Amino acid sequence: MIQMFHVSKSYEGSAPALSDITLNVPKGEFLFITGPSGAGKSTLLKIMFGSEAPTDGQIIIDGRNYVKIPPADLPGLRRRIGFVFQDFKLLPGKSVFENVALALKVMGVGPGDIKARVNRMLSYVKLQHRANFKPLSLSGGEQQRVAIARALVKDPAIILADEPTGNLDPALSNEIMELFKEVNNRGTTVVVATHDRRLIDLFGRRTVMLEGGRIAGQ
Amino acid sequence: MSGGANLLYMLSDSLRCARENVMTAVLTAFTIGFSLAIFAIFLFVSINLNGFISTWGDKTHVVVYVKDNVASDPEKFGESLKRVPGVNSFTYISREAALKELRDELKGHESILEGVDTNLLPASFEIKLGSAYRDSDRVRGVADNLKRLPWVDEVQYSREWVEKFASLIRFMELAALVIGVFLAAATVFIVSNTVRLAVYARREEIEIMRLIGASDTYVKVPFFMEGVMQGVVGGLISFAVLAVGRYLMLDNVPQYFRFALDVPFPAPAVFSVLVLSGVLMGVAGSLVTVGRFLKT
Repeated sequence: MIQMFHVSKSYEGSAPALSDITLNVPKGEFLFITGPSGAGKSTLLKIMFGSEAPTDGQIIIDGRNYVKIPPADLPGLRRRIGFVFQDFKLLPGKSVFENVALALKVMGVGPGDIKARVNRMLSYVKLQHRANFKPLSLSGGEQQRVAIARALVKDPAIILADEPTGNLDPALSNEIMELFKEVNNRGTTVVVATHDRRLIDLFGRRTVMLEGGRIAGQ
Repeated sequence: MSGGANLLYMLSDSLRCARENVMTAVLTAFTIGFSLAIFAIFLFVSINLNGFISTWGDKTHVVVYVKDNVASDPEKFGESLKRVPGVNSFTYISREAALKELRDELKGHESILEGVDTNLLPASFEIKLGSAYRDSDRVRGVADNLKRLPWVDEVQYSREWVEKFASLIRFMELAALVIGVFLAAATVFIVSNTVRLAVYARREEIEIMRLIGASDTYVKVPFFMEGVMQGVVGGLISFAVLAVGRYLMLDNVPQYFRFALDVPFPAPAVFSVLVLSGVLMGVAGSLVTVGRFLKT
């Protein structure tokens, strides 16, 4: 599903963020990417998502070479990937329902269809009773569940999560990871970047260790 | 996926944005409106003055006054006038006719002329020039030739001040153009700054929309629509400013200067051009800013 060949990324005037990363994530896998802060976890995920271009190397997502993709095709590709951020990136002025619905609106899904799919997804993340609430009135764990619902509602082939439990306590972190596990059990490829060793040990999945922008162990 | 639904969302987003930024949108519309109105005023007044000048140019004529001390012989004088190049036609005005003309002009105030010698006014010829002799150099040449005639006392011609006035009008036209360009640039600048504020206020939403797969068009359309709406309202404001301003000024401007307030084009054309220009300004301001933002 995700193939990276000798991918490097460097920013002007600083040490390379990623160096010579070669990685294969088969369809349906659950992969942890870990490492200390500044190891390159977020950069790796951004490259997988197409919001950063690699300085060198090739990356093939779902059969398409990202490096050669014209910018106009990028939104189409992003619709096949759900991204979950550490800071949730929810719109504070919109309700929970509207936040989740936005992912379908930008795809041009009809209003009736949106209603059905968003409600289904909110009940999946157990937030149907919060549909009309504004994100800031929810707990951190609930906000992250909204973000996950937004990522999942478009039925993506891949879920990328960048420190999704970074702002949550251990109990809520477990809850969120259980949700990812369920999603993965339905066949979605899941890549989670985290520095939380406890979670990795608890869920026991394949883990790629980054250090100084290089793969230090798998 | 449905294109219709997409368009519907983009339009409803546009309306929502306009509602959220109603104050800045209104200010932008007023900026567009007043800029267009000022430009139109300059343009119309200079067009009207120019029209006035060309009408006067056609009326350019030379007046030749006959010396007092020569025996009046209009026929002989006329013969000598015909031989001067550039003279197209002429009318003889005798002393009596000149006095009568003066009396007519002073109707109601005839007492001024009581006791005035009927010989006060000289006889004269009003000469119309051929169309090829109407520029200032040639008029001067014809006048010089006329002055050489032995019976001619003085030659007066109106072209000189017309020429001076015409150069003033040309200056005004240039000023209108320069002011127009500056106003258009300033308006696009103001509009793009207003949009920049709107984009800044919505940057988080735009960023999130792009992250979840919104196309650039999806992001741009609300701003485009906002530009169109502001432009239409701006165009309407400028039309209203012009119409109301003209109405208020008509009674306060001397009769002889009213021609300057004429509208040189049909009202529907003025209306359409103003609205269209407003839309162009609004859309240009919006798209320039959003385009720049999306590139980052």
